[in-house]
Parts: sequence; C-alpha cells; structure tokens
Amino acid sequence: MAIWPEERTAAAGDLDTVDMTVNVGPQHPATHGVFRMVLTVDGERVVGCEPYIGYLHRGLEKLTENADYRQAMGWWDRTDYLAGMCCEGAYVMAVERLAGIEAPERAEYIRALMMELSRINSHFMFLGAFGADVGSFGTSFTYAWRERERIYDLFEEVAGDRMFPTYFRIGGVTMDLPANFERRCREVLASIRQGLEDLDGLLTGNEVFVERCRGLTPVTPEWAIARGVTGPMLRATGLAWDIRKAEPYGVYPKLDFDIPTGRQGDVFDRFHVRLAECYQSARMVEQCLEAMPGGRVLAPKLPKTLRINEGELYFPTEGTKGEYGVYLMARGGTQPYRAKLRSPSFCNLSALRELVVGTYVADAIVILGSLDIVLGEVDK
Amino acid sequence: MSAASEVPAIAALVRERLPEVPFTASETKTYADLRVAPARLLELMTGLRDDPDLAFDLLRNVVALDMEEEGLAARYQLYSFRHSHALQVSVAAPLAAPVLPTLTGLWPTADWHEREAAEMVGLVFSGHPDPRNLLLEEDLRIHPLRKAHPLQQAEILQGIEDGPPGVDR
Amino acid sequence: MTFGEAFFGMSWLDAIIRIVIVVLLMTVVVVYLTYGERKVIARFQMRLGPTRTGPAGLLQGVADALKLLCKEDVRPRNADRWVFEFAPYLTFIPVFLVLAALPFARDWGVRNLALGMFFVFAVLGLNIVGVLMAGLGSGNKYALLGGVRAAAQMISYEIPLVVALLAVAMLAGTLDLNAIAAMQESRPFVLVQPLAFVIFLTAVLSELHRAPFDIPVAESEIVGGYFVEYSGIRWSMFQLAEYAALWAFSIFGAVVFLGGWQFPFGDDWGWWWQLILTLVKSLLLILLIFWVRATLPRLRMDQLMSFCWKALIEVSFALLLVNGLFLYFGWSEIILAVVNWAGAAAFLGAIYLRAIRKPAVENLVGAYKHAGVSPP
Repeated sequence: MAIWPEERTAAAGDLDTVDMTVNVGPQHPATHGVFRMVLTVDGERVVGCEPYIGYLHRGLEKLTENADYRQAMGWWDRTDYLAGMCCEGAYVMAVERLAGIEAPERAEYIRALMMELSRINSHFMFLGAFGADVGSFGTSFTYAWRERERIYDLFEEVAGDRMFPTYFRIGGVTMDLPANFERRCREVLASIRQGLEDLDGLLTGNEVFVERCRGLTPVTPEWAIARGVTGPMLRATGLAWDIRKAEPYGVYPKLDFDIPTGRQGDVFDRFHVRLAECYQSARMVEQCLEAMPGGRVLAPKLPKTLRINEGELYFPTEGTKGEYGVYLMARGGTQPYRAKLRSPSFCNLSALRELVVGTYVADAIVILGSLDIVLGEVDK
Repeated sequence: MSAASEVPAIAALVRERLPEVPFTASETKTYADLRVAPARLLELMTGLRDDPDLAFDLLRNVVALDMEEEGLAARYQLYSFRHSHALQVSVAAPLAAPVLPTLTGLWPTADWHEREAAEMVGLVFSGHPDPRNLLLEEDLRIHPLRKAHPLQQAEILQGIEDGPPGVDR
Repeated sequence: MTFGEAFFGMSWLDAIIRIVIVVLLMTVVVVYLTYGERKVIARFQMRLGPTRTGPAGLLQGVADALKLLCKEDVRPRNADRWVFEFAPYLTFIPVFLVLAALPFARDWGVRNLALGMFFVFAVLGLNIVGVLMAGLGSGNKYALLGGVRAAAQMISYEIPLVVALLAVAMLAGTLDLNAIAAMQESRPFVLVQPLAFVIFLTAVLSELHRAPFDIPVAESEIVGGYFVEYSGIRWSMFQLAEYAALWAFSIFGAVVFLGGWQFPFGDDWGWWWQLILTLVKSLLLILLIFWVRATLPRLRMDQLMSFCWKALIEVSFALLLVNGLFLYFGWSEIILAVVNWAGAAAFLGAIYLRAIRKPAVENLVGAYKHAGVSPP
C-alpha cells in the first residue's frame, strides 16, 4: 500500500492528478481511541486504506500467563472496556470449564443479568458515538450518555466500581446483590427503554441520517464469514447467528429472546440491529430478575489456590461486538500456560480496508463507526 | 457447544470424508482436536472448508503457542455455519524452522491472525501476502509471547533489533 | 436620523460614528451568540451549558475571547506565510462590509444602498477567497480538503440563494433593502414566497457551514477543516466571521422574508419597535439554525452537491419562472401564494420520501469499480 503519492497516468484530455494520503488518527475525534488509518484519497474518493493498530497493546496475554488464574481477571475487564462484565464473564466461564468448577445457579443468573446490562451499555456507546460520526453535533452522544450513567451507577451499587467492576469470581460472583436491587434495576430498565426510544426517534427517522447510512457498503453473509466478521455486523447481513443461541453458555438456554437481523448488511442495518439488540437485552434482564433463584452466589469448597492440570479449551461467548472467544491452555500450576483472546473487534476491523476502498472520505468515518470497535479489545 | 459424546463423531466424519489426510484425534474441554503434520495442514484445511459435509466456513481464531522443549505450535478453531459444528486443528512447528503454510487463501480473516501469531511467537507463515508486524512496532524483532521472553523488560527492548538470547528472530 | 449632522453638521463624521457603532455592536453580538449557541444546544442535549463565569455563565464569551487573545499564534512550518496570515482577514472583512448595507430600522443603517441586495451578494461572495486561502496556505491535508470542500459548496449554493432572492426582488420590484422591508406592511414575503424562503434557508445553512451542511468544518472527519491549523487571535477571527455572517444573514433573511422592521406596525410605533422587530426576527432565525444543528447529522459531499445542482437550482429557477408569469399576466397575489405553498410542500415532501425510500442493493461491498479492486 502506497504511503506516498503515486503518479497516475492521466488519460488524454484528463487533468493530471496525484493521489493524496491523509493520516487519520491515532489522535482523531472519529477513531474511537487510538486507531490509525492512512487513507489514500483521489479528491473525495478513498482509493486506499491501510489500518495501523497496536497503540493500546498492553500485553494482555503475556500478563495473563504470568498471573494467577484469579489475578488475571482484572486484565480481561480492560479488553472491551465498554462492557467489562461481558469480558469477565467469558474469562471466568472459560476457567471454570477448564477447572471443572460449577457456579451456583443464582450466580449464573446474576452474571447473565450483568452481562446483558453491559451489552446495553456498550451498544449505547455505539449509538451515541455513531450519531456523532455521522455528524450529529453531540446530541445523540448526550442522549446515550444519560442511560450509560444510570447503568454505571447500578454497577457501582452492585460491585463498587463502574467500568472495571471485577465482580465475577471463578465459581460465582464476589457478593450478593444489594437489597433494593430489583427495584433499582427496574427503574434503570424503564429509563433505558425511554432512552432507546429517544435515540430511535432522533436518528432512525432522520432523513439525513437515513440518506447517509442506507445502502452504504452492504455485505453478504458469505463475505462477512470469510473475513471473520461476527456479532451485530454479521446479523445485519441477515444471518441470525448468535452464540448465546448457537452454542449457549450460562443461563442463556433458559432465557427467551429473539435475534434481530438486518436485510442487506449495510451501515443502516448494523445500526438498527444494535438498537434492536438493546431491547432484547432489556427483555433478558427482566427475565433474569423474575427467574432469579435464591441461595449462594459463590460455589462452596473452592480451592484456596486454583491449580489446573493438563487441558486446553477454546470458549466462545457472544461479546458485545461479536464472538469473544477465550483460548486457555493449562499445563499444571497456578498460572495459565497460554491465554489467547479471540477479539471480535480485531476481526471486524480487519475487514475495514475492503469496506472503505471506493467510498468517500466522509463514508470511511461512518463505516469505521459502524464496525463499533473498541481499541482495548483490538490491541489486547 | 458440542457435548463430549459428539467429539469422536466429528473426528470420525472428518476421517470418513478426508481419508487421505493422516491426523490424530483427541478432545479438548470444548471441541474435538485434530493434530496434523505441518506439511498436510493446508490439505486438511482445504478439505475441511470445501467438503460439503464438513463446510467449516468460519476460521474463528488462530492461537500461536510456544511449547518450549516441543517447539512452537498453532491451534486453529473452526466453525461451520451450515452444520453448526466446531473443531480445533492443532499443528506443531519445530523451533528450528517454524514454518507453516498460510491460510489467507482459504479464509481472508487469517491475514491479521497470522500476522499477530508471527510477531508474538515467531511462527513464519510461508506465502503470507503482508508479513509485517501488526500490534508491535514495525521495526521490533522480538517475540514477546515466547516463554523465554522476560515479562518486565518489554519497554527497554523497544526499538532494539537485537534482543536478549532466545527472543530474537 | 443622522448623528454627525445632528452634532456637528459633518457627514463624514456621521459615517464614522455609524461604522463604529455597527462594529462594536457586532463584536458584542458575536460574543453573546456563541454564548447563546452553547446554552441553546446544551438544552437540546440535556446539559446546562456555561454556568460558572458570571451570572448564569454570561461572561463566558468574554472569558473565551480574552483567552483567545492571549494564546500563542502558531504558524506551521509548511504553511505559506502570507496566504496563511491574511486568510482570516479576508473571511472577516466581507462580513463586516455586509453589515454596512443592512437596515436595522427605517433609515437605521450605515448606508442605505439602492442596490443593497446586490451589494450583500457581491461582498459575501468574497468570503470564499479567505476560506480557500486558509485551506491552501495551512500546509495541512485536512485543511486542504476543508478548503476545497468549502469553495465547491459555497460557489454552488450561491446560485440557488441568489435566484430565490431574485424571485422576491421581482415581486418587490427593487433591490433596495429598505424599500423591500417597507413594502411588507400588510404581509411578510414569507407568506407569499414560502418556497423561496425554504431555498434561502437551505442555501444560507450551506453558506454558513452550519449543520447539516457543515462538511468543510466537519469535526469528526477533517477535524475542523480549513482552520485546523489556526490558533489564538487568527482562529478567533474565523469564529468572529462565522458568527457575524450568521447574524448578517439572519438580519438579511428577516428583512427580505419576515417583514424586517416593518411588519407588524413598524411605521406606526416608531424606531424602537422597528429595532426590536429586526432583532427578534433575526434571533428567531438564528434559533432555528441552532435547532437544526442540534438535531441533524451531516450530509456527504456528493449528496450535498447533487442536492444543490439537481434539486435546489432547478426548483429556484422554476420559482423565478412562475413569478415572472404571474407578474406578466398580473394575476392575484393570493393565487401566487397558494401555488408557492403547494410548491414548498411538494419540495419538502419529496426530500422526505426520497430519504425514507429503501434503495435497492446495487453492488455489494463498496464501489470496487473505481478502486480497481476486484470484488471477493
């Protein structure tokens, strides 16, 4: 990929033009963190795109391999930092499966509830930031932020922290829910529904928004699968594939929810699938509240130090951005021998170049926004 | 998730559909695992993807491993949307010449996965179209996920071509 | 009323006093327009806006202005020195010149020009030069993209803007802004020419780089566009020019379409009422522009241009033609108004229907043809 302008042979009668490279990021308002892409533009057209990642690489895997199974949990919160609970859940469940530990049912319900609230939280971030990418002057952002604050407040009441709660434990969760949790959670849910309707009204029916997003880079399911694109982006192409249904884990088999899908996989469908998923997550939270059994939240007789003998597994979960898989290999001892994160943002982002080439500069930003990447997860 | 009883089933199915590729089957905690020699990897993978009864169309993940005395290794997790089954393929690569065939021709998503595996552990994917560093700096020639690589010294090593013994390329 | 003659019998002093008043007024108004915008948009976004500096944050604009004056004036090494340094003046001077022609009340303005409308267009057109100079001279690719976008956009949208106003000028039979205002004693022109008003407002949003046409200064794409490299006093000149132009266009729109100082009871109640009318109407237009900014996302460059060349220009020329026919045959103004309202409704309806229509999937995954990349 050319970094410097390339001379183009001009056709007879054409003006002689030279492509220009525009460096977008790592400090740029629309890259959602420290992502950098070098766009080669011909006027307003993008003719080349070279993504550069790694600015937020913190060595998650190396750190996990050098920490106790339980200590390492804190690092996993910080991968998809918009939905810390989902990442924790994936790691904790993977370790439990590897060690053969069963969490109590109440803990599983609490986990599902927290993970779905996290998912709503992450999708709200998308809805707000995507509105800003398309050019709404922060209004969608503040609308989304209001609900995110309420979810974070709830997390703080439950776990003592907002973004990185480290609330789950191998074998359950740290502590039981506070006494007034059900009432508070229902309040937050009502507010979430209101917020979703507000955002829906602000963006979905907006002529300019529709004009910008409809029909922009539609993709087929085959194309998406070949590029490892999963999650809402894959569902936007019309393929109703959700790991919570396809390879269920935790209490998801007991919960009743639908998989929202799009029709043509364009930017508008990606937006709309995420909006619809928030309603489904809210449904699941309600079901969890109703079906939540009593009892312990942490498995009894957990070992003081967790040692796992030979074994390996790949444990896929439905993260907020797609398939969030954890590969763990144990070869005895208290530390995982190898930990690997299959990061959905990483895989979705690798499809960016093909999506962006041929569109306009303004579209490149919108397409990047529609991938909904989290750099903590991309760079690990 | 495939239950434990299904694990031999998928391995048996692969054996039935691709009789010419030798592999040894075992199981992990979640999926069946097929161990194959590096020379036959591409053949097996092509068969897994293209056979209509197997049809593994999603390459979920590529894990690169440093198995210390056993050399390097890789794990490929596959999933089939058509049949909803999943599989892991494992392959070992000797430390002296850790060369594996690239799978970018089969699954475009292998591109970034392999770039990451190459820089982190030091696997070499022959035929990879763009074998540059992905997450690390472009001129950094260390492999941080090797077991010999010290945890604490990563910052000191940045930008230095010759790392400590055992971690350079 | 003439100040200079009243005091000393010197007409040149009169001119200077008027200019000083307008410039001072402008500066104060701009400071409070930024404050107003922040407050209004904050309310749309469930925030409070500035509250700390002075009562209800009223001194925020003053504090910002002082801060900007104290900041370092940075010039990038790649910048073309003279072009870079003169660009702010060239965006800023035309806007102030425009104010010389605007009537705030009957005979209250710097000069009442017989070709006032023409003067406003001619001078505001110069604005492009400064913007383009800023874009080219900064030595920054975002600025270059922004400058080129701005030039294309402003030149294109000037056509429907001028034609829509020409349609009103035809009805009025004059280009004198005072005369146009005076003519609207019984009804403002917006009631007769709503379609022209819609076109005017759209084009003005574009000329001012306000949402949804803020493409040259798109924050999330090109990080501020043509003034990305400016700082301190030069940046604040761009800001000053932007808000001054906003106010100038609003007064202009209020005079031409909303009855200016005349409607209602302008002549009967005296100059203070006329001043209030002009200010309130211009502030209403500004509020509308802020409202649009808080609500609408941004169009894309090609959509913007095709909207102008394929929709706005055609409609504005059709409007001109219809007005001409009515004037030629001398039909009643009521019929003209009805036709125009129908036209405005049809125009807005067409935009709405086009947006909610679902386009067929033409080609999957981007436009590969242009890039020479083969589809998967």
